[in-house]
Amino acid sequence: MAEPVRLRLVLPQVARAELIAGDAVEKLGRRIAFPRDTLAEVKLAVVEACLNALEYGAGEVEVELAAHPNAARPWLEVVVTDHGPGFDPSGVARPVLEAKLHSKRKRGWGLELVRRLMDDVTITSRPGLTKVHMIRRTGGE
Amino acid sequence: MDTFELTLAAQDGPTAVLEVAGYINNEGGEVIAREARKLLDTGSRNLLLDLHATRIINSIGISLLLEVLERTLEVKGTLAFCSLTPSIAKTFQIMGLAQYARIFPDRATALFELARTQ
Repeated sequence: MAEPVRLRLVLPQVARAELIAGDAVEKLGRRIAFPRDTLAEVKLAVVEACLNALEYGAGEVEVELAAHPNAARPWLEVVVTDHGPGFDPSGVARPVLEAKLHSKRKRGWGLELVRRLMDDVTITSRPGLTKVHMIRRTGGE
Repeated sequence: MDTFELTLAAQDGPTAVLEVAGYINNEGGEVIAREARKLLDTGSRNLLLDLHATRIINSIGISLLLEVLERTLEVKGTLAFCSLTPSIAKTFQIMGLAQYARIFPDRATALFELARTQ
């Protein structure tokens, strides 16, 4: 089996930094012939994970990407790390559109999109270290 | 295409078409919300957002589109979208947006249906 192609990025706290990671996902995914539409979903999930990390983390955000060129079923693996105060992922309520429409706070969709657009998502978080580990296979949901 | 642009592409009776290009984030979302508010305040009731040149909407942009939706529903209008990429269509499906907004494959179909169901 061919070795995965790996890339590590450090995102600065600048406007649209999340797109740097999104664009890298797109380029890496193309190298392992990931279907374009699936790749667009992975890109959005990574953009969302990076947005959260940039907003709630402290300072730089690390993004590790790995493209696994399995001939039958290539897969992409992404880890987004920040060094903010951390959070309890089980305490994040799933957004409900009707409630959001009548609420002043309409945000809160990011984590839901990450979970629904990727096949496997594992979040580990403690003060100073939060990691969002995501996997998407071709032909995933 | 990541550079954001918003164009009022058509305005015919109660229907206004906004063509959106580029990344819809906080800045792009604010521009859309501002323009939508202006259109609704001056009598438009159907807002059609043509997203054929938009490839990505982040969750902050989404929350601003929900403000537009809320305001449109308040004036008993219709918010509609057309020409979505598959990933944006999936995002809207995850949110359950089709319960409150109308989604069309292209602009011609959208305008036809909006005129028909007025």
